[in-house]
This record gives sequence, structure tokens and C-alpha cells, in this order.
Amino acid sequence: MFDLLPHLLNGLTLGLLFALIALGFMLIVGLMEQINLAHGSLFALGAYVAMQLTGPRPPLPADLAKAWLTLPLGWRYAATLVIAPVIVSLVGMLIELCMRRTYGKDPLYGLLLTFGAAMVIEELIRLVWGTRDYVLQVPSAINGGFLFGDLIWSTYRFYAAGIAAGIIGLVWLLIEKTSFGATVKAGAHDSEIVRALGINLSRLRLLVFVFGTMLAAIAGIIVAPIWGIRPHMGVDAVIPAFLVIVLGGVGSFWGAVVAGLLVGLCVGLAGAYASEWSLLSMYILLVAVVTFRARGLWGKKSVLEA
Amino acid sequence: MASVIGGTGSFFGPWKENHAWAQGAKPIKLGLTCDASGQYGNSGQDDFRGIKMAIDEVNAKGGVLGRQVSFITADTETTPATGSRVAERFITREDCTILIGALHSGVANAITQVASKYGVIYMNTNSSAPSEAGENCSRVKFVWDGNGTHFSKASVKNAVDSVGKNWMLLTNDYVWGHTTSAATKAQVEAAGGKIIDNLFVPQNTRDFTAYLLKIQQAKPDVVATAIGGDDIKALREQVAQLKLDGKPAWINNQQDWPDVWGAPDSLFGVFGTTWYHKLQLPGVAEFVKKWQAANKNGPIPVPGNVSYNGYMSTRELLRAIEQAGSTNNVKIIKEIENLKVSATDRMQHFDAYMDPVTHQMQQTIYLARRNAKPADNTDLFEIISWTEPKSAADDAAPGKCKLTPYEQVPTVDS
Repeated sequence: MFDLLPHLLNGLTLGLLFALIALGFMLIVGLMEQINLAHGSLFALGAYVAMQLTGPRPPLPADLAKAWLTLPLGWRYAATLVIAPVIVSLVGMLIELCMRRTYGKDPLYGLLLTFGAAMVIEELIRLVWGTRDYVLQVPSAINGGFLFGDLIWSTYRFYAAGIAAGIIGLVWLLIEKTSFGATVKAGAHDSEIVRALGINLSRLRLLVFVFGTMLAAIAGIIVAPIWGIRPHMGVDAVIPAFLVIVLGGVGSFWGAVVAGLLVGLCVGLAGAYASEWSLLSMYILLVAVVTFRARGLWGKKSVLEA
Repeated sequence: MASVIGGTGSFFGPWKENHAWAQGAKPIKLGLTCDASGQYGNSGQDDFRGIKMAIDEVNAKGGVLGRQVSFITADTETTPATGSRVAERFITREDCTILIGALHSGVANAITQVASKYGVIYMNTNSSAPSEAGENCSRVKFVWDGNGTHFSKASVKNAVDSVGKNWMLLTNDYVWGHTTSAATKAQVEAAGGKIIDNLFVPQNTRDFTAYLLKIQQAKPDVVATAIGGDDIKALREQVAQLKLDGKPAWINNQQDWPDVWGAPDSLFGVFGTTWYHKLQLPGVAEFVKKWQAANKNGPIPVPGNVSYNGYMSTRELLRAIEQAGSTNNVKIIKEIENLKVSATDRMQHFDAYMDPVTHQMQQTIYLARRNAKPADNTDLFEIISWTEPKSAADDAAPGKCKLTPYEQVPTVDS
């Protein structure tokens, strides 16, 4: 049992990261019924912008850059956690404005548009930062390892899991306990009624897309010190995000969270006990679930089950 | 349709080009099968930089046999199926008579199959599975990088004697990982050590914590990895995070320069390479300057082993054509099979030679570790040993490699 415990703990922390990556993706699919294939690229962009801001050459006027660099890394990192998602959200805003012409039409148009956006963002990343790898500097307080149960553990891993859990909690509060959340849910349920009630649906969609983009960017910043920063890191994120929301049930908040944890546990345990199955295990889990429950664990009734 | 268009094109012109061909100055066209995306996308482009430099150098001197050398390149996406498709297209539709490039051994093997079918010479620049010059060898293919067995032979015995006998293997779950780990296992057992576990890591794994926990629980003396490309970069970051880079001892079979550049802080353990830009040998500094001039504003400021292998293989190929006095494939193959390059010309410590039985370049194998006292920000390696080619050679390869007789190789001419 003691041998198993570290792997369960590792699976849960990994699962929280998967859930964090999927959260913004889930919100956009839930309200807008659009699969945002640019989610991974926005995730990568978040990591790059954060790296640029915390790195030795921030893109600021000389005097301001000098003043910024005199701040301790901890302060710069904390500020970057807020600033970088805001910067990336401008790109999300641009994508949503382009997407407006696709609403109410075949979902394939939106899919193709976001796919194109993903390619453009990735190529822009290559153009600006090149193909080399980068490291996101993090404050020493959340770096390094500690001993627990005879094993060394990564401090950052627990910090990342904690941040992921915190953000998941905040998103839940926003969706469940605020009028904005109520409007979002109503919009997802019946957009015509929401419009009839005088709510500006265009603005609502823009806000949700921007919010989803910010979540993608934050996930990128949190995961970057673990995966590293490279142009195609977005592909590594969008696949598990897609898998988690299908597994959890499209549009379901708790479905995404539970599915993220399940996928994390699955990958973690398979990595320990049947290592060559670790990545495959999440796909097997998906096939097993959707075979018996096509809507996913907490999804609405699917047309496949009609 | 393509052949119709092609035929029409050669009849109705571009006349200038056709006119030049009539005078025997048709370019020798090379197909560069370099990855630009996927696990080895970075390395594939570094390979390309070295290959292109060798081509440009030769063209600047008037070409080969009085003919210019042209090339075409396409992204093989670090995927065997794409590699195979690109090779087929280069040969059948682009009239390439020689193929060059590859990092991933699965991709290299796929290209080899296509090249062998048509008799087209294939220079495998950078893939290092021992099987490339063993069971997957070919009369048309030459392997230029050191392979997993070379690096194991250079490192394992010493590590068993000085560090410990209990070893764990961490293996990328594809042909290079498997064959490299098998070579390491054989070396460990021959030296009196024991493999206590072998963890297979699927390609594109980004989270290694489960494996690292397993390693911590098993407490081996040494962990030998055969993890490549983006996967080793992620592994290195996570080992550094967990502070596992001291104990156990790590032997990372090979570190390609593009995998190291950009994340030097996570460099750990002992690892192999075929070349380093700070080697104190004649010609190295000049080569570095020349490479930098040819690759201004590139993503990497100095040539590494990948670019070096790309350059050397292409340079030797073009020399072989010149010396054969012909672009006939079999004549070139025979020339390369007899290749011997002096240490000075190779910018290595020992003379190198092409093994005619396996088509593996036998060369100096270097072991390195992270440089604690770098002379500048590119000085990431400390070279700790150099092994001569004969001592590092894979003794089992000749028994596994069966080359097709010359007369059964389809004739190709440029």
C-alpha cells in the first residue's frame, strides 16, 4: 500500500493539471458549442509571454525594463501570472471577433477557423521566438524538492496542483454564484431566450471566449516549468483537454474536473506499473466510457443515445 | 498527370535549363529528408543547416564533376509514414538520386526501405539505433552518427566498476530506445552488473513523475536512459526539479545539441556525443566560424553534433562522387565503403573509417557531462573521455547485417 500511495498522489496532482488545461476549453464548448482548436496554441502563447516578461529582456522601454528587473523574481512572477493572461486574452478576443460570422452555421466553419488560428499562432511563435526551447524561471520558494515518506517530491508540482485546485474553485464560484455565471449557463441552455431578455449575447460570447483564453494562458504558465516551453507544446495540451471534456461530458464543469483527475490517475498508475501503457491508458479509458455512455460521465443526453 | 506535365515541361521549356542540361551541366539533385516538426523537429532543422553548408561550399568551388548540386527538402514530421511518402516522392517525382537526413530511427528505416527499392543512396545522418547498421542495414544506406552500442561501450564498464552494479533502464518505446537499451543491457551484464528494471516510456511523454517515483522506490545505483528529442528535454527538467540529478548516477546514452541548447540548467549525468564545438583540435575553431557565417541569426549560435554529422556525411558523399568520377550509384557506394578520414579532417581525436560490412561510420566517441566552469554561454559540455573507433565498435552488427550484392542493386545515375 505504501508503494502505491506516492503514485496515487502523483496521479491526483497530474489530474488537477489536466483539469486546469481543460477548463477554458470546456467553458467555450459549453456556452458557444464551438470546439476551440486554438486552445493549445493559446496555452503555449501564455507560457511564451510569461517567459518573455520574467526573463532577462522584457519587452519594455529601457527605463521601465530596468525598474521591472530590479523587482525580486517572486514579484515579477506573481505579476506575470496576471499580466500574461490579459495579453493573451487580446488574441482570444481577435479570434472570437473573427468567429462571429460562423455562429448559427455549420459548426465545421468554427472548427476550421480555430484550426487555422492555431496554425497561425504556432507559426507566429516560431517567427518571434524561433524553434529553440525556453525555461520559465520560477521563484526559489516554489522550486526544488522535499522529502516525504522516504521519497523526494517536487515542490513545484504541489504548488501547481494547489494553484490548479484554487482556480477550479474560483471558476466554480464564478459560474455557480454570480449573475455572470447564471447568464452564461442560461446562454448555453437557450440563447434565444437570453437574447429576448435583453442580454447582449455577442458581448457574453466575447466575455466567455476571453475568459476561456485567460484560463488557457494560465494553464500554460503553470505547466511550462514541468513540460518546458517549445512551439508545439500546444498540441501536447489540446489533445488531453479534448479527451477530458469528452470523457467528462461536454459542457459539464464537474465532469471536466472528475475526468481530469481520472485521466491523471490512469496515466500516473499506468506509468508506474505498466509503463508502456501510460499514454495509451487515457485513450482506453475514453473508449471504455463512451462505449457505454456516449454523452460522457456528466454530459447531456447525446444524439448517439437517442 | 504529373508525368504528363513533367514531360510537357521538358519539351516546351524552360529552355535555359534544358539548354544547360544538354551541355552536361544538369545539377545533381539531392533529397533532404529532414524533420521540421514532431519530436525531432529542432534537430532535423539543425541537421539541414549542416547539410546545406556542405552543399553551398561545394557549389562555391564549382560543384561536383563540373555540375552544381541542387536539393529539395520536405518535413518528414518525425513520422515513419511521412518519411516513407517523402522519400517515394523525392525519388519518383522530383528525380532525386540521393537522399540525406533523419534523426528518428523509425523514420530512417522507413526511408531505407524506399531507397533500397530504387537503389538510391541514402545517407542516414543522425539516427542512432544500433539496428540501423545491424538488422536494418542496406547496401544503399550509410550511417554517420555514433549508435547506442558505441555510446554504451564507451561508458558502461567504467560506470559498473566505479558507481555500482544495480542498473535501471528508462527506454523510449520505439526502435532506437529498444535497440539502445538492449545494447546497454548486454554491456552491463558483461561487466558484472544487473538490470533491476526497464521502464518503457511512450513517445511524446511529457510527465515523467510516475517513472521517477518508481526509480526512487527501486534505488538503483545507475539509471541508463535511451530517451530522445523533446521527451529527454521534459525528463531533464523533471529530474532537475526533483533534485534527482546526483543520486542515482545517470547515463544518458546520447545528447543531441539541439536538445541541450535552450535548457542547459537541466543537463545532468554522463552522456555521449560525436563532436563538440570546443574540442581543442585543429580546424574546429575555423569550422565554427564558417558555420556561424552560414547560419547568421539562427536559433542556435554554434554547430553541434547533429549539424556536424549532417555536414560531414554530405561533404564525404560529394567527395566520393568526385573521386568515383561518376554519379553511378554502385560506383559511389564502393567509394564510400572504402572511406577513411584522418582525425584532422574529421576534427576528432582518432582517424575514422566506414565499415564496409555494416556501412556504419566508425569514429571517436566522446563522453561528456555538464560543464561547471563554462568559458562562455555556449560552453555547456565538459568532455571527459574519448574512445577510439575500434574500442567502441559494435561487435554484433556484422553478424546481423546482410548487404545486398552489388549486381542486385537497381542502377541509378544522376
